[in-house]
Amino acid sequence: MLKIENLHVAADGKEILSGIDLEIPLGEVHAIMGPNGSGKSTLANVIAGREDYTVVEGSVRWRGDDLLAMTAEERAWAGVFLAFQYPIEIPGVNNVYLLKAGLNAKRRAQGLTELDAMDFMALVREQASRIGLEEDFLARGVNEGFSGGEKKRNEIFQMTVLEPSLAILDETDSGLDIDALRVVAEGVNRLRDPERSIVMVTHYQRLLDHIVPDVVHVLIDGRIRMSGDKTLAHELEERGYDWVKAEVGGA
Amino acid sequence: MSIAAIRTLRGRAWQIYEQMGMPTPQQEDWKYTDLGRINAALGDNWWKPAVPERSIPSLGADQLEALAIPDLDAWIAVFIDGRFQAALSDLPEGIDFAPLMRLVIDRPEQAASMLEVDKRMPLFNGFVAVNSALATDGGVLLLKANTVLDRPLLIRHIATRSGTAHIRHSIRLKERAEAHIVEHYCGIGEAAGLTNTVCQIDLAAGSRMRHDRIQMEQPCHYHIGRLSVTQARDSQFESHSVALGAALSRVDLSVELAGPGAACALNGLYLIDGRRHADHHTVIDHAVPHCTSREHYRGVLDDRARGVFNGKVVIREGAIKSDTAQSNANLLLSPFAEVDAKPELMIYNDDVKAAHGCTVGRLDTRQLFYLRARGLTEADARQVLTFAFADEVLASLKPAPLRRFVEHAAFSRLFHEEDAEEMLT
Repeated sequence: MLKIENLHVAADGKEILSGIDLEIPLGEVHAIMGPNGSGKSTLANVIAGREDYTVVEGSVRWRGDDLLAMTAEERAWAGVFLAFQYPIEIPGVNNVYLLKAGLNAKRRAQGLTELDAMDFMALVREQASRIGLEEDFLARGVNEGFSGGEKKRNEIFQMTVLEPSLAILDETDSGLDIDALRVVAEGVNRLRDPERSIVMVTHYQRLLDHIVPDVVHVLIDGRIRMSGDKTLAHELEERGYDWVKAEVGGA
Repeated sequence: MSIAAIRTLRGRAWQIYEQMGMPTPQQEDWKYTDLGRINAALGDNWWKPAVPERSIPSLGADQLEALAIPDLDAWIAVFIDGRFQAALSDLPEGIDFAPLMRLVIDRPEQAASMLEVDKRMPLFNGFVAVNSALATDGGVLLLKANTVLDRPLLIRHIATRSGTAHIRHSIRLKERAEAHIVEHYCGIGEAAGLTNTVCQIDLAAGSRMRHDRIQMEQPCHYHIGRLSVTQARDSQFESHSVALGAALSRVDLSVELAGPGAACALNGLYLIDGRRHADHHTVIDHAVPHCTSREHYRGVLDDRARGVFNGKVVIREGAIKSDTAQSNANLLLSPFAEVDAKPELMIYNDDVKAAHGCTVGRLDTRQLFYLRARGLTEADARQVLTFAFADEVLASLKPAPLRRFVEHAAFSRLFHEEDAEEMLT
C-alpha cells in the first residue's frame, strides 16, 4: 500500500503541503480532488520524485519502500508511474525508444532479462491500437507536435506498456473531449488489478463517472480535509469546495 | 600563361600574407580564437610542409579501412597529408577531375585562376593568402552542363604527420549539373600538425550541390578551413559542416547568392569536449533579389571546450524579396564550457523576410524529470537529450550510411556505451 504520513512540502520557501496523511491499499482506486492551488499536483509530483520541491518532514512509503530516499528513476523501477498533467515535448527522442529504455531499465532493476525487440514491438503495437494512437505516433519524437488530447493518450499508452503498480494520474481528464475521455478511462480501467493502486488527481468529477473510485479525498490548502466514497465527488460537483472548509472549520 | 606566371602569382600571394600576417584576437573576426595555441603546439613545424618533397606518404590498407565511412557508396579521392593518392582513389570515367599538381603543369591557366588571391572575399585573412602561395595539391572537379554525378564524391583527407598541409579544392558545376561532395577530415597518430584547406565552389544557373564537411581530426591536430560558394540563378546549395575533432578548428563559410532564385541551406554542428576549440564563421550575401537562405547551427560543449559561432547575413539594397532565417542553439554540458555566439544581420532594404534566433542553455530539467520518471537513469536521460539536441542537425545528412557514421562519431565522443542508433527518431 501507499502510506503517506505527516507530509510537509515547500517550494521557493513557501509551504504547499501541510501535513498529508493518506493510505491507499493495493487494488484500490483513490481520487484526490480539490480546488486550484490546493497542492494536488505537488503531491503527485513529490510521490514521483520531482526535485523542485523540498520535503520538510514526513514520509512516503510504497509497499514498504521509503520513496523519499529514492531517485525518480528508482521509484519508476519500484513501480511508480506519474501521468503528467502537462506532458512535455522532447523533440528528437523517439517514443518507442523512450518506452523501451524505461521498460528495460526497470526489468534490469528487477533482475529480469531485457525484452526481446520483437516481443516489445508487438506489445507496443497492441497497446497503441487499444488507446487509439496511430502507428506513426510511435516513430515520432516524444509528444512532439501532439495535440493536448494526444499527449494525454500517450501518457496512458505509456502507462499500459510500463505496467506500474502505483499509477498516479495528474489531471489526466483536462483538455480531453468526451470520446478521448472514454478511451483514456477504458485504458485506466483495464489496469485495475488487486496488485495495483491508482491515484487520480482531478479537479472535476467528470473523469470519475468513467473510472469509479473506491475512495475520494478532498485536498484543500495542503491538507486532506475530508474523505468519503464516490458520492462525495458528486456532492463536491454540486456544492463546490467552500462547504468542506466550513464543515471542517477552515484552515 | 605559363608555370612562371603561377610562380609570380604565388609570390604575390606570399607578399600579401607577409603584409597581413596571421589573424590575431585584435581582429574582430578572430576575437575569440587565439592562434597562439597553434604556434605553441607546432613550434618549428608550423611552416614545414607535412609531406617532404618527393616523399610519398603511405598508409596500410587496414589503417585506411579503419578510417573509412562504412557502406558509403561513393567515388573516392584520397589525400594523405595534403597529397593526392591516385592509386587509392576511385573516380568516375569521363568526369573532369584533376589533382592540382597535374593542373599546374597541364593547364596552368586554370590552375592560376583557382589560386588567385581576392582580398575582397568575405573573411579574407592570411591563411587564404598563404594557401594560394603554398598549396601543392587539391582536387579540381568540373561537371558539364546537365551532368549528374551518380554517386557522392568522397574526398578523404588523412593527416598522419606533423607540419602543415595546404590544400586547395575547386568544384565547378555548370548549368543544371548536380553533385554531392563529402569532405572528410581525419587522421592517425600523435603528431601535431595543421590542415589549411580552401575549397571554392562555383554553381552555375540551375545547378544543385549537397556539400558535407566532416572534420574529426586527431586531438593534437589543428584545422583551418574555408569554403567559398558562389551561386548563380536558381542554383541550390545545401551543406553540413560538422566539427568533432582537432585541438582547434576554424571554418569560414561564405555564400554569395549572386543570381535571382538561388537558395542555400547551411547546417552545422560543433560537438566538442576536453579543451577543444571550434569556431564557425559564416557569411551569406544576398546580392540580388528573390534569394533564400536558411542557416541552422548547433553546438554541444562539454568539459572546458569552447565554441564560437558568428553568422553574418547581408541583404543588399537592391536585394528585394530576400528570405532568410538563421538559428543557432548551444548546449553547455559543463559549468566550464563556453560559447561565444553572435548573429549579425545587415539588412539594407525593407522588402525582406528575415528571422533569427540564438540560444545558449543547459539541459531542460523538466525533460530530464520526464525521462527519469519513465525509468531512465539520470546519466541516460542526459545522454538521450544531448543526442536529440545534436541530431536535429545530423538527421538531414544523406545517404543513411553517412548519417550513421557521423552520428556514431559524434556520440562516441561524449558517451561510451549506448548504441546511438537506437535513439533515432
